Amino acid sequence: MRPAIRRGWTLDPRRSLSARLTLVYAALFALAAALILLGARWGIERYAERAINAEMQAGAKAFGRVTAMRYAQLGDAGRVLASDFGFRAAVATGDAPTIGSALASLKRRFDLEQAFVVDIDGQVTGFDGQLSEGKGDRLLGALDGGVDRGVLRSGGRVYNAAAAPIETPMLLGWVVFAKEIDAAEMRELGRLTSMDLHPAIVPVADLPAGTTLDARDAKVIARDGERILLRASPVPVFGGRTPLALTLEYSLTAALAGYQPMLWSLLGFGLLGVAIAALGSHVVAQRITRPIKALDAAARRVSAGESAQVPVETRDELGRLAGSFNRMVVAIEDREQRIAHMAFHDSLTGLANRALLREHVARLLARGQGFALLCLDLDNFKVVNDTLGHPTGDALLCEIARRLQAACPDAFIARLGGDEFALVAEESARTPDRLGRDLLAAISAPATVNGHRVVPGTSIGIAIAPHDGANATDLQKNADLALYRAKREGKGGLRFFESAMDEEAQKRRQMELDLHDAMREGQLFLMFQPLFDLGKGRVSAFEALMRWQHPERGLISPVDFIPLAEDTGLIVPMGAWAIREACRAARQWPDHVRVAVNVSAVQFRNPGLNTVVMQALAESGLAPDRLELEITESLFIDNVEGVLASLHSLRALGVRVALDDFGTGYSSLSYLRSFPFDKIKIDRSFIIDLLSSDGATAIIKSITTLADALGMETTAEGVENVGQLDILREQGCSHIQGFYFSRPLPEGAIAELFAEERARAAA
Amino acid sequence: MKLLSETEAMTRFALALPALLATLPVAHAGTLDLRLVDAAGRPVPDAVVTIRPDAGVPRGPIRFPWGTTMTQQDIAFNPRVLIVPVGATVAFPNRDKVRHHVYSFSKPARFEIKLYGRDETRSYTFKTPGAVAIGCNIHDAMNGYIKVVDTPFAAKSDAQGLARIAGASGAATVTIWHPRMKAKDNQVTMRVPLDATGTVSRRVALALR
Repeated sequence: MRPAIRRGWTLDPRRSLSARLTLVYAALFALAAALILLGARWGIERYAERAINAEMQAGAKAFGRVTAMRYAQLGDAGRVLASDFGFRAAVATGDAPTIGSALASLKRRFDLEQAFVVDIDGQVTGFDGQLSEGKGDRLLGALDGGVDRGVLRSGGRVYNAAAAPIETPMLLGWVVFAKEIDAAEMRELGRLTSMDLHPAIVPVADLPAGTTLDARDAKVIARDGERILLRASPVPVFGGRTPLALTLEYSLTAALAGYQPMLWSLLGFGLLGVAIAALGSHVVAQRITRPIKALDAAARRVSAGESAQVPVETRDELGRLAGSFNRMVVAIEDREQRIAHMAFHDSLTGLANRALLREHVARLLARGQGFALLCLDLDNFKVVNDTLGHPTGDALLCEIARRLQAACPDAFIARLGGDEFALVAEESARTPDRLGRDLLAAISAPATVNGHRVVPGTSIGIAIAPHDGANATDLQKNADLALYRAKREGKGGLRFFESAMDEEAQKRRQMELDLHDAMREGQLFLMFQPLFDLGKGRVSAFEALMRWQHPERGLISPVDFIPLAEDTGLIVPMGAWAIREACRAARQWPDHVRVAVNVSAVQFRNPGLNTVVMQALAESGLAPDRLELEITESLFIDNVEGVLASLHSLRALGVRVALDDFGTGYSSLSYLRSFPFDKIKIDRSFIIDLLSSDGATAIIKSITTLADALGMETTAEGVENVGQLDILREQGCSHIQGFYFSRPLPEGAIAELFAEERARAAA
Repeated sequence: MKLLSETEAMTRFALALPALLATLPVAHAGTLDLRLVDAAGRPVPDAVVTIRPDAGVPRGPIRFPWGTTMTQQDIAFNPRVLIVPVGATVAFPNRDKVRHHVYSFSKPARFEIKLYGRDETRSYTFKTPGAVAIGCNIHDAMNGYIKVVDTPFAAKSDAQGLARIAGASGAATVTIWHPRMKAKDNQVTMRVPLDATGTVSRRVALALR
C-alpha cells in the first residue's frame, strides 16, 4: 500500500520545514520588536527623566530668583518703614499704638500677611496671631546672627519674611515684613515653569528617606502606585529650629502616560510585524518547501516503481536538485531496463534466456493456447570450441541464432546456455514436425565463421503444449527428454516427446539415487573372471568386474548402471573403489597372477587417477606390474595428446596398460604405434564370428601377428567353446578369457581355483 | 552675659587697699589699663569705660580734658563718642555746608535740634547719666554717642582698643559701654580690685553686634 503523501502544512515543527522556518522567523521578529519596544520605553523614560530634571533645575533657579525678589521687596518695604522718623520715634519711645498702626498701614499697603517689630530685647510687637513660646528670642537670635530673611513658620502658616533694622541710630530692633506662602502663592510659583512641579515647602525631616538636598538628579520615589521624581533644595529658615526644604516633584508615571499611546502603537505595529513576518516567512517557506514536497512525492512514486518527473521551476539549488532528480530517475529507469533485459536475455546473441522462456511458456500455458516447444542442442559444438577457440564458438552461436530467427521469424527464440536453444512456435501453417525439419535444414547448412568453415548440426526435441506438460517445468523437461533421445539415437535428428521417455527417465533417476546409496551402503562388489595363459597353461590374471546387489531389484547388470554412473560422474569414486578393492584382493593371489581393472573414459580424464592408483598400490602392497588397467579406444576420440600423456604417466608408476575391446569403434593402428600397450584384448564380437566366418580368423591372425611384432600380449574375450579355443590357439593368441574357461568368480572362489590348478599340475 | 577676662598682674596687698586709699591723695591712686578686643581679637575703639569705686566717687565737679563739643563735620559727628559729666551742656556746631537735624530718642535725653546750618551752634544740657544716641534725621548714616557719666573715672578706648584710667583705687565696678555691645543697655560691668599705686591691666573681650 502506498503511503498517502502528506500535503499542505502541518503545525508540528519537527515534521514540517516550513512550520519550523515560520516559527523561527516569527520568533526572531518578535524578539526584535520586543527589543525595540523595550529600547523605546527605556529611552523615553530616560528622556522624560532628563527633561523633568532639567525643568526642575530651571524651576529651582526660577523659584530662587522669584524668592530673592520677594525678599528684596519685603526688605525694602521694611527699610522704608524702619527709616521713617516718626516710626523710629514711636519705637524708641515704646509707643505701641503708633507702632501697631504704622505696621497695619504698611501691611495693607503692601498686601502683606504679617508686619511686626522685634526689639533688641526679643520683644515682638504687632504680630498678627499667637507666637509660640520663645519665638521672639529665636527671631532675635537669628537677626543677631545676621539672618534677616528666610522662611518663617508660625501657627501652621508659612511665610517669606525679611527684616530691616530700626536704628536711632542705635539699633532698637527690627521691623519684619512677611508674606504668607499659601496655596495660591505656590500655584503662582508653579506657573513659573512649563510643567507644574508642585512646589512645596516641607521640613527636611519629612522628606522621603535618602533624599539628598540639591542633588543633581531628582530622586525617584513611589507614591500611590505612581513613580514620582522628587527634588528638594534647602530654603533659608528665619527664626525657626526646623530646617526646611523646597520640594519639586513630577510624576514620572504621568509623564510617561503621555507616551503610552506611542508604546501601544509600537506594540501594535510590532505584533502586526510579527504576523506579517510569520505570514511572509510561511509563504517563503512554502515556496521553498513546495519543490521539496514535490521531490518527496516523486521519490515515493519512484520507489513504488512508477516513473516520475518533477517540474524544474527555478534555477536555484532546489531547481538544480530537481534537475538532478529527474536525471537520476531517467538513469535509474534506463539501468532498470538494462538490468531487466540482462536478466531476461542472453548477452551474446541477444535472444531471450531461460527465465524469459519460462515466463513466456507459462504465459502461453495460462492462456490455454496450444504451441510447440522445440529444444535444440548443437552437435559436436564442443569440438568447434576446443579446436577453433571460443571466439569462433561464440560466433557460431550467433550465426545459429540468426539462422533460427530467419527460419522462424514468428517464433519466440531463446538461448538456454552453452549450445542449447529453444523455440516456441504457436499454431501456424507449419506443423511442428515440418518446422523441426526446416530448422535442421537451416542449421546444417555449412557456415564460415571467423574464416573457418564449419558444418553445424543439431538435435531437436519437441514437446507439444498443453498435451506434453501442464506447466513450463514439465514441458521443458519433456522437450529435453525428447532431445536426449534424439541425441542418443544419433545426432542430427528430431524426436517428439513420448510418455515412455518420461518413464524411462524416471527409472534412470531412481537408479541414480539408488546408486548413491549403493556406494555408501556397500552394495557394490567385485567379481573376478580369470584370464588363462595358453602358453603356460595356467591362470595369469583376473579381470575385476563390478557388480551391484540392489536390495530390491537384486543383481543389476553393469550394462545398466555403468553408463549411468559415467553420466553422473559417480564412476569416479566407484572406479577408485574398484581399483583399491582389486589390489587388495590380488594381494592374496600367487605372485604371477595379475588383476585387471576397467577404467572408464570419465575416470581416465579425472586428474586424480594417478593418485588413486598409487594409494591403492601402497595400501595393498601389491607390486605395480601386477595391476593392469584396461582402457577403451573411445578414449582417443578427442585430445589424443592428453590421453597419451596420461597413459605414459600411468606407465611411469609401473602399472600395466591394456587396450580393451580392440577392434570396435575408432580402432586405429596409430594408437598402437603411439603407445606401447602391454596387452590387446580382442573384442568378443570377433570371437563369436570365429566359427562362422573365415574372415574372422584372418583378423585374429593379423592382430596376434601385429601384437607379437609390437611385443604385446593378446587376450581373446568371450571364448565360449572349444572350437573357438582351438582356432585362437592356432592363430597365436596368448591368453583367453570367457565362459568356456570360467565365468566370473566371487573372490572367495579364487583360492579354490588355485587349489585345483595346483592339483592339476601335480597330477 | 559673659565677661571674659585674664589677669596680667595682681598686687599682694589687695586687702589693705581701702584703708590706704582713704589717706592717700588722688594723684597717688592706681591706674586701670583695659585692652578691649572683640570676639575675633580685633581692638575695639570708641568703647567707654567707667569706674565706680566701692568707696564712692570724689565730690566736686567733674571735668574731662576733651571738652563738651560734638561737631558735625563731613556728614559725621566728631568725636563720634563723647564722654560728658552729668549736667554738661554739649555744643553741636555745624561745620558742614549742609544742614543737619540732630535728634536723640535715647531715654536719658530726648531732644531734637532741627535744621540748623553752617557755623550755627546749638547745645543741649544732659541732666541724666546714661548713653544717648545721636542721629541726624537728614543723614541716616550719621551717628554719634554721648555718654553722660557721674564719675570722674571714665575713658574712651583708642584705636588700639586701649583705655587707661588713673586715680581710682580699691575694689570698684568697672562698666564698659559700646554702641554695638550685645548686652542690655549696650554695656557690661565687672568687679575689679584696683591697686593704690600700681597698674591693673586687663584684656577684655567684648561681644559686639
